[in-house]
Amino acid sequence: MIEIIQSKHWIEWLINIAKFAFAFVPVLFILLLIPLERRGAGFIQDRQGPNRSYFRLPYFGKIRLFGWVHNASDGLKLFFKENYAPHGVNKLLFLLAPAIPFAVVLIAPAVIPWFAPMVFTFGEEVIRISGQNVNTDVGLLLLFAISALSAYGAVLAGWASKSKYSLLGGLRTTAMIISYEVCLGISIMGILLLAGSFRLDQIIAWQDAHVWGVVAQPVAFFCFLIAMIAETGRAPFDVAEGEPELVAGFHTEYGAMQFGLFYMGEYSHIGINSILVSILFFGGYSIPFVSTSTIQSNVGISLGVLAFVFVFAILAFLHLLYRYSRYLKKSSYANKSAILREYSLYKIVGWAAAALLLAAGVISIMYFKPAYTLIDGQAVYGIGVALGTAFIQILVLLAKAVFFCWVWIWIRWTLPRFRYDHVMNLGWKVILNVAIVNLVITAFIVKLIGD
Amino acid sequence: MVRQVKQKPMNWIEKLYIFEAFRGLYVTLKHALRGVFRYETLPTVPYPEQKPEINHAYRAKHRLMLRPDGSPRCVACQMCATACPAKCIYIEASTSADGRIEKSIQRFDIDHLVCVFCGLCVEACPVDAIRMDTRETSYVHRDRQSFITSMEELMDWDPKDYPEDDFQSQVAPGGKRNKEALDSWGLKVN
Amino acid sequence: MSNYYDMPKLPTAESPKVAIFVDGQETFVPGDTNLLEALKAVGIETPSICYHPFLPVSGNCRQCLVEQEGPRGRSLIISCFTPVSPGMKVFTPKTSLRVKNARKATNEFMLVNHPLDCPICDKAGECSLQANYMESGHDSRLRENIGKHYHGSPDHAFIDSKGQTRGGKQVVLGPRVTLDEERCVQCDRCVRFMRFVAGDEQLQLASRGDSTYITTFPGQELDHEYDLCVTDVCPVGALTANNFRFQQRVWMLSRTPSVSMDDSLGANLWIDHNHGKIWRLMPRCNPEVNRSWISNTSRLAYLNFDKDRLEAAPIETLQSTVFAAKKVAIVAGGACTLEDLAAIKALQESLGAKAELFGGTSIPVVEPDGISKSGDPLANRAGFKAMQVPDANLQELLQKISDFDTLITIHSDLIGEDPTFEKLKQIPNRIVLSAFKDCTANAATLAFGVKHWTEVSGSMINSLQILQKLNAAPTAPNGDLKPAYQVLFALAGIEITEVSAAWKQVQDRIPTLKAYQRDSILSTGLKLEGVV
Repeated sequence: MIEIIQSKHWIEWLINIAKFAFAFVPVLFILLLIPLERRGAGFIQDRQGPNRSYFRLPYFGKIRLFGWVHNASDGLKLFFKENYAPHGVNKLLFLLAPAIPFAVVLIAPAVIPWFAPMVFTFGEEVIRISGQNVNTDVGLLLLFAISALSAYGAVLAGWASKSKYSLLGGLRTTAMIISYEVCLGISIMGILLLAGSFRLDQIIAWQDAHVWGVVAQPVAFFCFLIAMIAETGRAPFDVAEGEPELVAGFHTEYGAMQFGLFYMGEYSHIGINSILVSILFFGGYSIPFVSTSTIQSNVGISLGVLAFVFVFAILAFLHLLYRYSRYLKKSSYANKSAILREYSLYKIVGWAAAALLLAAGVISIMYFKPAYTLIDGQAVYGIGVALGTAFIQILVLLAKAVFFCWVWIWIRWTLPRFRYDHVMNLGWKVILNVAIVNLVITAFIVKLIGD
Repeated sequence: MVRQVKQKPMNWIEKLYIFEAFRGLYVTLKHALRGVFRYETLPTVPYPEQKPEINHAYRAKHRLMLRPDGSPRCVACQMCATACPAKCIYIEASTSADGRIEKSIQRFDIDHLVCVFCGLCVEACPVDAIRMDTRETSYVHRDRQSFITSMEELMDWDPKDYPEDDFQSQVAPGGKRNKEALDSWGLKVN
Repeated sequence: MSNYYDMPKLPTAESPKVAIFVDGQETFVPGDTNLLEALKAVGIETPSICYHPFLPVSGNCRQCLVEQEGPRGRSLIISCFTPVSPGMKVFTPKTSLRVKNARKATNEFMLVNHPLDCPICDKAGECSLQANYMESGHDSRLRENIGKHYHGSPDHAFIDSKGQTRGGKQVVLGPRVTLDEERCVQCDRCVRFMRFVAGDEQLQLASRGDSTYITTFPGQELDHEYDLCVTDVCPVGALTANNFRFQQRVWMLSRTPSVSMDDSLGANLWIDHNHGKIWRLMPRCNPEVNRSWISNTSRLAYLNFDKDRLEAAPIETLQSTVFAAKKVAIVAGGACTLEDLAAIKALQESLGAKAELFGGTSIPVVEPDGISKSGDPLANRAGFKAMQVPDANLQELLQKISDFDTLITIHSDLIGEDPTFEKLKQIPNRIVLSAFKDCTANAATLAFGVKHWTEVSGSMINSLQILQKLNAAPTAPNGDLKPAYQVLFALAGIEITEVSAAWKQVQDRIPTLKAYQRDSILSTGLKLEGVV
């Protein structure tokens, strides 16, 4: 026991334990994804989207947070609703089923590299910390294996619900998972061949060194994206839920937070898959033309630029707010004063954040000048630089992932849903074949020019 | 008659679906960005704050028209109740207190939960006594009983809310032409 | 107006058939009647205002014009006053434009002074003038003339809000009838009714020409027992009954044919109901029984039909009392139908020697009035006799009170009709099957609510030996109420829910009725031979 504890420096332990927090990143995606989905769907359909609920602040009145409060209230309602089960269901499986997809999303992020492996000097010692929680050679396989388990949730739910619709939904889920897991696996073989490893950090490193996966393997990217969307079971591939024909598919009989767990599982799954797409095809945490060592050597400037990017985003947001406020003042809305009062809060927070970030950026550029020691001919920096770099890289990864989350939503609200046989045709007759051809060609090229 | 609609066959690019899918994505993206950057141009209105303009011709809640002296014009002929497809009008008639008028209403209830707002009662009325031009489209009550609108509620309206060229509304008490109408109405009863 | 008019002779089944030419076609019509009735018998309706089959013909409205070919060519004649003669050639509007135009002109003539207030007129929907106007093409040249100048009694004239002379909108003729002089078309049906049917000339036509109006003699009012019949005969909405005035529009009412159970003539009725409530009782035309007349007593009885009703009780309470009894007196009252009597007999049979039957009423029998009342208050007396239920032995019951420990009265208000029956309170168990909370029900130990005769299907035999049907109007105040026969049959151990099953029980007890199915009895009844 003591040996194990003493095998690592205490700062190594601390950071490794802190990395467990990454398990909750996909869950936190829900907080972003549900408002993004609901208001995004609204805007796509020229609606307002949910924006009714609010909480009150003393001076600013009703605070709606652009509809976020509405979604939070909906979630809260689900949380406090009565759990019930229909008569005659298999109680154990019925209660267990929703937990499975949700449990899976807590395990799945274990192999995802959130930042480039940290190497820093702490006192006398050189500390190395990998970017993922589980540092294993079978990273991607493990991820696939775990996320495929979430199908059990749907299958067990369908079986336990004692309902025709649920059972059909569960069966369809099985068929979908089997079909599209195959496509999923085959389509990424190309990039695995190129990178020569199952390790996700190796794949990112290869992309960092060469080109992004989407450039090297564009066909594989599309196959992978489609298979991913199909695997999450969302429109246009929502045959498992099958609203037009199966009521709600496998979760027909579920309500309250049991349904909520399915819902959260689905959104977390989107989060994980978005992260995965950005890792496999969009360089993960890497920034094009900027290597990790460049960031490390210019960490002050990098953080400053990051701060400036945020400042720009905030200013753009403020610009929209001011423009809409001007419109409101001229309008005949009954509650325009209340909305303007609410917006004044956002303006204050926005300006304060912009000022703070600007100051932080300037200070970072001017004063963050890291010192390094040369070890084996490479520059190794202190812990501050390492954490700063990791922070930038996590943000870059999450930014890419959020974009892909939006792609998920965007596709769902654009394309009409496929019929069940079309889905199967697409999976087995098109994507699988295209992916195999792509794999063969890639293998040839790798053999010809590789090594 | 059978009309055959010839659809233009899809060309191979369209058949590939993927490019058409991108085209669709472009369309929805435009709409989404409009929601974010030009929020105020959304065609939907946030309802309780911003109410849509309703025309007087819209079939809204009923009202009973009034004579210059403030009594209802209704003569309790029950044509509206007869025409009503939802059978939501309940009328009790009685002899009028005014000797010149034979019949008047004792009770005139419209169950607005049953009403289908078809406007047939307005069409059927021979004396222009019932109208649906109040522009009141949303009225909320706590119980079902309150939706049964009584004669008094139906007669409770203000001529100022109605156009000045609406003669029948303006002869009611408080209206622009009430005075002259009252003068001619108040002819001697023998 | 002292002319004497002939009553129209109505066609019967025995009328000789004669051939006349209608619109050039040879048609066989009843030969002993007037042309209007003869044409009606072959399905040709002739519009009329003043003609009424049970009133003397006056022929003053000229609405029923047809064309007849005579020695001096074709001329217009009134069909109501023309007897049928074999071989006559008649032309209806079907072939004769002249008849069509003449009828239309007559209609317009009547509309000259008739106000266009059909929407507020109680007669609208069953108005002859309205029907004729619709039939004549409803394109009168006069229809634009909305206000009509008033010509009637100068005492009732007034100026309306549009400055027109109007008048006589609510003339009180009597306690029950209101007159609207504007609507009156001076057909004098009401005058003829009062003179020839009621036999009391309370109504008169006053003044002349287009100033003619209906009135009573000065200082008198219309208060005859049959005065509400004038509102029936009035072809327009001039005479209205105060009890029905402004209550309902006639097209909203549903009609159920039934028989009045307060008199042994069994006047035929229409029960006009809506929303489960009876709004009026109207005479139903039956030439054999009450023609088109009905007395005010029968007509206004409905006002109390939904008041003071008894609630239904569970039948088990009844069963336990009846079967525990040692000696039972069963009293059948006036409104018992044949089905009720059959059920009483069945109950008596099931109780055996314990039970003794009584029947009748304490209300004295009076002279028949010759219109719609026989004067016998026990409506189904012939039925009692046919069923061999005693119909006049109530005094025996009084004498034998001490013998009985249980009394069952069915539709019989013994105490209310004769207070000496208060002595019945000596009987310890007093069961009352009645529709109302009457005196007997109040004195009962167990008052059991049953359906009133307007709410049951059944049958009765009237004093003319005519078997008549009652039909159930859906006006029972409470869904739990059952017909009395259903309760009694249940007590006797026979489960009966349909009236057809009860009718079979009646047939079992009156063998002469075996031949008749209930459905085959006409609405005008069935003349029985030798039942009693």
